[in-house]
Amino acid sequence: MEILNIDYEKYKLKNGLEIIFHKDDTLPLVSVNIWYKVGSANERKGKTGLAHLFEHMMFQGSKNVPKEMHFRFIQEAGGTLNGSTTFDRTNYYEKVPSNFLELILWLESDRMGYLIPALTQDKLNNQKDVVSNERLERYDNQPYGLAWEIIITHLFPEDHPYSWPTIGFMDDIKSYSLDDVRNFFETYYSPANASLVIAGSFDNSQAKDLLEKYFGDIKNSHPFTPLKNSISGLKENIYLEKKEDVQLERLHLAWHSDYAYGKDDAVLDVLSDILSGSKNSRLYKNLVFEKEIAQDISVFQYSGKLTGSFIIIATAKPGIKSEQLKEEIFKELDNIKKNKVTEKELTKSKNGIKSSFIYSLQNIDSVADQLNSYNYFLNEPNYFAKDLQRYESVNADLIRNCIEKYLTKPYVELRILPSK
Amino acid sequence: MEQINRSLKPLPANEIDFSLPEIQTFDLENKLKVFFVQKNDLPILQLNMIINGGSKFDPDNKKGLANLTSMMIDEGAGNFNALELSDEFDTLGSNFNIGASQDNIFLSLQTLKEYFQRSLDLFSTVITKPHLNQTDFDREKRKVLIKILQLKDEPDQIADSAYEYLVFGKDNPYSSSTLGDEKSVNDISNEDLKFFYDLYFKPDNSALIVVGDSSINELKENLNLLFTKWQPKKIQDISVDKITGAETQIFLIHKEGAVQSEIRIGHLSSERNEDDYYSKILLNNILGGQFSSRINLNLRENKGYTYGASSRFNYYKNGAYFIVATSVGSENTGNAVNEIMNELHSIRKGALQKELDFAKSSTIRRFPSNFETNKQIASNLTAKYIFSLPDDYFNNYIEKIRSVSLEEINQAAEKNIFPEKSIILIVGDKNRVLSQLEKLNLGEVKQINYP
Repeated sequence: MEILNIDYEKYKLKNGLEIIFHKDDTLPLVSVNIWYKVGSANERKGKTGLAHLFEHMMFQGSKNVPKEMHFRFIQEAGGTLNGSTTFDRTNYYEKVPSNFLELILWLESDRMGYLIPALTQDKLNNQKDVVSNERLERYDNQPYGLAWEIIITHLFPEDHPYSWPTIGFMDDIKSYSLDDVRNFFETYYSPANASLVIAGSFDNSQAKDLLEKYFGDIKNSHPFTPLKNSISGLKENIYLEKKEDVQLERLHLAWHSDYAYGKDDAVLDVLSDILSGSKNSRLYKNLVFEKEIAQDISVFQYSGKLTGSFIIIATAKPGIKSEQLKEEIFKELDNIKKNKVTEKELTKSKNGIKSSFIYSLQNIDSVADQLNSYNYFLNEPNYFAKDLQRYESVNADLIRNCIEKYLTKPYVELRILPSK
Repeated sequence: MEQINRSLKPLPANEIDFSLPEIQTFDLENKLKVFFVQKNDLPILQLNMIINGGSKFDPDNKKGLANLTSMMIDEGAGNFNALELSDEFDTLGSNFNIGASQDNIFLSLQTLKEYFQRSLDLFSTVITKPHLNQTDFDREKRKVLIKILQLKDEPDQIADSAYEYLVFGKDNPYSSSTLGDEKSVNDISNEDLKFFYDLYFKPDNSALIVVGDSSINELKENLNLLFTKWQPKKIQDISVDKITGAETQIFLIHKEGAVQSEIRIGHLSSERNEDDYYSKILLNNILGGQFSSRINLNLRENKGYTYGASSRFNYYKNGAYFIVATSVGSENTGNAVNEIMNELHSIRKGALQKELDFAKSSTIRRFPSNFETNKQIASNLTAKYIFSLPDDYFNNYIEKIRSVSLEEINQAAEKNIFPEKSIILIVGDKNRVLSQLEKLNLGEVKQINYP
């Protein structure tokens, strides 16, 4: 599809910072999106959550930007800003009226090069409190909020980089010292470990000059050893139960699966859609619509650079036990393995995926982030059409094979049960 | 290479050039209002149908009726049963959604241009020929009842809906949650639902918003064809009593074992009107409307009590309120309430010129980015319709914001922020928070059960 052929220009500064340009003059807006190739996987036990802490510390000002002013300068320009952390990477992004591009490059370069001189114990203490509250609000005080953490700590071996949550454990959050923060920053936040996308309305040659001016003199830190995937698979099923103050029982099943952009990754995405993506999907129809034994069901393939997981989550209706849900789920997987999915099911899923690719082009931030994502995983920013092709080429045999290959293997089962 | 002085903040380059999309409006023969923005950069379209039939129209003993109606609309229509209908949308790769709010039922559709006609055909079928079968009704009703049960697990949602209940007062149509409660939903029959549908799903009681890759002629032709049999019938809007509380009242909803407390503080406010809307926007921007506002900087960046704290004026069509919302670690519940009350008192003493300049700058410069996606444009038009905003509303927006003076902000604070007549609501563990709240001397802490 020609519409998915996204024009770009890519080059590197001398210090190794990768730059990707995508021009789009539809609106007078420009989006800057930086990926640092560091995520929670780069942390070590006892100091989990450090990568995410930076999502906070990076907004606390740097050598030439006073505390609170990073946010203020961007907001004053009418811009929006945020960041996010996964196992594999941390991103920071802004969208501003296009005449404020230089402001953003100044701010981003100052915190890439000169964060540490402005780091203080007060700022760290304050943001440790904020992150603790974030953890309470988003996980500890949410119904079923700790399920993901429990699943990954059991699905992955004890020292596997994916075996802890990106927010970090509460004790670890409380333990960060200034040295922890400094060392982590100096190891991972360097130009050679980052890529910067500018997308929207801007002038290429002006932007090149500005990038050289603001980022050209930022030094790299010492290289570090890349992570290895040390996964051997589960030897047997792991059964877990947790009692919680909730109304309904919830079943979680998790298997090891393929890594991001591995050959089965897209097949598993399509399978998850066929299982739970719509009213007439296999499991939704069976468990929620017809038998009414589940209130909701969701299935997804969650894949990272090192490996992936395939997850099924179903909430039982009152009086229904996980056992019954599980039986139906396995029956359906078995059914697909024996009889395969239909052409109609494949068409529905693929059309939905194709549309979502096109819908996502409306937003310059999401295009910028996707360019960085493709560049990070595949070293090719303009992978949109090829990515869609991954989905187009999924067929019923591939799906059957994936069920056999991944979903007949040992899994982690977590039941969260009402405490009353 | 140029030696740079990093301590200098760069200045903006030349002013940008932004032109608003043109809004075209017309009525169909059946009196359905249509708002259209043509946008051809991508081959996609967004449609929003707004039905004036939200939960404020629910009869007293049938709370939840509008919501249940919205859930039933796509459980089979025209020649398709519920599952077939879902397949039809999926096959086209079109995203179809329905939801109910206090004022309206919303139906939305995002589709590729190549499937516009077929998607629109389905969209009109759902709106004009829903089956509303008993079997589907029974299933969806059971689903809502369990959803209501599940809400007990969500402290933030308990706080939001309990706050509306307290601030509007129990006899106000806006005081009950859109979902309804267990008893009222149990009392709803499929006949009630059909009656509700027949009454409110009328073209002269609705508006259609279309944004995307089409032309006005193509659109008119299609719409007149599809909606001809949908006939108008005049409906009365409701009127709503407004009673502001006389004094501050503090309420506690006990949530056993909660490690955080949800806090909601505020009171009723004047309805949305062109006179003071812009000064209220800027006032709130300074007080709690964005990251660098007083309330968030105090509670998050200074005290570290919370992941975030914010305030807003929340507008419905016939009612409005002011609210501050946050969740804090249990041990800081009393402190956080105290800090919020201090901020409310403090803003009434006046804002600073530099705060106003900042609020104006961010609001004005952010304006173009509100028109990026089809959904954003459609949602701007939705507000225009619901609040009957003038035709030149978007054209004049920046100028109206720019012309607000510091004096007007300070008047707006005195007229719209009442710390001494506030509802203070906490959802948290009474064993951890009750004594903290009692020490605040804001009156008796009333422990209530909700829902």
